[in-house]
Amino acid sequence: MTAIATDPPMLERRYARLGVVLIAPTILVFSLVIVYPLLAAIYLSLFSIYTPTLQGEFVGLDNYAKLLTQKAFWSSLGTTLIWTVGTLSLQILAGVGLALLLHQNIWFRSLARSLVLFPYFLSTVVAVLVWRWLFNDLYGALNHGLMQLGVIDMPLDWLGSMPNAMIGVILVGAWKYFPFVVIAVLARLQTIPEHLYEAARIDGAGPVSRFFDVTLPQLRSVLTVIILLRAIWDFKEFDLLYLLTGGGPVTSTQTLSLLVYQEAFGLNRMGQAAAYSVGMMLVMLVFMILYIRRTGRES
Amino acid sequence: MTLTKKMQTGLPRRTVLAGMAAAGATAMMPQRIRAQEQVTIRWWSPQSSPEQMAAYETQIRNFEALHENVKVVFEKTSDEGYAPQLAAAFASGDVPNVVTHLPSFAVSNYWRNGLLEPFNDVIEMIGPDKFYDGVNRIYEIDEGQYAGTSIGNSAANVIWLRKDLMEQAGIDKNPRTWDELLSAVGKMQGNGIYGAPLPYGRNSMTSLIFIGVIHQAGGQVFTPDLQVAIDSQETRDALEFYRAMREFCPPGATNYSWGDSLTAFVSGACATGIYTGRVLINVNNQNPGIADSVTCDLYPTKSADIEPWTFNDFPSVFIPKAAPNMDVTKQFAAFLFDPEGYIQQLHAAPGHVLPVLRTIGSDPAYQNNEIIQKYSDEVEKMSSAAANGFNLGWESTAHQPNTRAGEVVNSGVIAELVQRVVLNDENVDQVLGETTARIEEIMAG
Repeated sequence: MTAIATDPPMLERRYARLGVVLIAPTILVFSLVIVYPLLAAIYLSLFSIYTPTLQGEFVGLDNYAKLLTQKAFWSSLGTTLIWTVGTLSLQILAGVGLALLLHQNIWFRSLARSLVLFPYFLSTVVAVLVWRWLFNDLYGALNHGLMQLGVIDMPLDWLGSMPNAMIGVILVGAWKYFPFVVIAVLARLQTIPEHLYEAARIDGAGPVSRFFDVTLPQLRSVLTVIILLRAIWDFKEFDLLYLLTGGGPVTSTQTLSLLVYQEAFGLNRMGQAAAYSVGMMLVMLVFMILYIRRTGRES
Repeated sequence: MTLTKKMQTGLPRRTVLAGMAAAGATAMMPQRIRAQEQVTIRWWSPQSSPEQMAAYETQIRNFEALHENVKVVFEKTSDEGYAPQLAAAFASGDVPNVVTHLPSFAVSNYWRNGLLEPFNDVIEMIGPDKFYDGVNRIYEIDEGQYAGTSIGNSAANVIWLRKDLMEQAGIDKNPRTWDELLSAVGKMQGNGIYGAPLPYGRNSMTSLIFIGVIHQAGGQVFTPDLQVAIDSQETRDALEFYRAMREFCPPGATNYSWGDSLTAFVSGACATGIYTGRVLINVNNQNPGIADSVTCDLYPTKSADIEPWTFNDFPSVFIPKAAPNMDVTKQFAAFLFDPEGYIQQLHAAPGHVLPVLRTIGSDPAYQNNEIIQKYSDEVEKMSSAAANGFNLGWESTAHQPNTRAGEVVNSGVIAELVQRVVLNDENVDQVLGETTARIEEIMAG
């Protein structure tokens, strides 16, 4: 007791050592699954490497010079941004709209809240197969329905021509991932104090005013986090796009993830693919810094 | 307690001690010695229809019956997915023992990079004299060394025709030239039926089919000494033909790959088709109403003086160099050609994968198949065409083996050429110039 009272630095050192011991497993796992692959990608990007053997020669910054001078990277970056902004906007609109609906006292609300999560839980492969069937020109339900309604005379080519292909993947992406927005927004809606709405009503605010003046400001913080997280996830989306269009027609839906895949496994150029990955990571870093600053400010 | 009592009454102490010593010695035996008792062979293939899987099970069962310590595990891959899976396997060293049904040009690339075990021993086990002439030459990339062999032949770009629709349209013979084909599909299109399911997607099918069309125009992608020769009048003619065919293809053909194109013909949505002999079993199983009207022929060429060019991907069998248990692996690779299992495998999709052993082709057991008997003319035509077939890895008998062909196909550069010119209506000269540059870059490594 006396020792503790008279020697606080020793206690602090003990606590510090304990802290290091406790955090060491996390640091170790973090290093293995994040830091090592990151450094490996940067290292690989300095070589010309044949993928199946991982053998190659040092080429310095040549892969980055190609990245900057050839249009493939910039074209795919543009496509990635169009896809990300397009699908994210729809996810937010649909997600907030449905969350507001499910926050009301409607019939079968519990069932509806469960069902709305269905697309998010569905395997991407299964979802894409279903959507490819819906989009099919010969026996797809979408074309069949539109023709029955007299909206179109001939089947539409949904995934093989532009801009239909981009619209198609954006729609499927929005359908697949909007439940995440619903879950997060619904949780936040349930914590907004009811007295704020009462006060607004007393002041004569209608439903639209209450949404913009009460609900939206209350949702702002959660929406910011959702947008940043989903932007990061959508930016690096691979399977949905690869399975729906393969990046076509030509390279119209070829995002950076597909470009990396193509270089690494289509052309067996792991070094160039790693350089593209590093470039992609630098773009994503912007989103991550925003996210970290935002969450840091909130905490 | 019980044990002690038993020892006292039954077993002599010396026997028990000897048993314990033996058990201890077994436990201390090196892992490698014990592992020799049980061997696992991993077999990869992208061909895995239910009928083929049943045939594989027979082959596995028969091999395991002959080798009690061997267990064979089949693992599926896919035509579009094998490249990354094998790349990961080679890079990690955790490779399958035997890989079958990949196109020959993929094999040559792996061989050139020192990743494959020479297949000479396996060919010797099978019997070199049993093979049809020339089957193995595409795998002889280095003189006297075989990278693998064909497990079958395929005629991937024969044209499938509906005799009933041809009769209704007043067409009395199979189209031989592009003009005749365009006329025929124009006459047969209508009443919800499209003329043809040619692929225009950004995938391997579009690349491979269009390579055939270039040859059907009298052109080639590479010269015999592998200089890029795609920027030619013949390619321009091929693109014009492909553009002309677009109006007779379903709208979604812009995204078609093998499965979509096959289904479009089998379902009756298209009057003609372009595929291997898998059409036969699929039509009989899925749309028997048209089964008696289906026939096939060699795909038409630009003019009658140009010989047909059949795409044969020479479905392969090869062994990665890093595969463990090499002796058993080679025995298993050779066993895949054992008549009972091999014939069942060929019967899984009659006409789709054609035999490469003359002893099998003439075997009554192989001929004794309902589909092969019903469509004997078609099977004969495909067999003959496939035996004289080529692919990008080997464009003609004059060509050197092209070990970069797989990368050219996987890059999608030829499919993009089709899409840019035919679908996007871009300037053909500019696109061909850029395509040439990209292929040259791939060839340069």
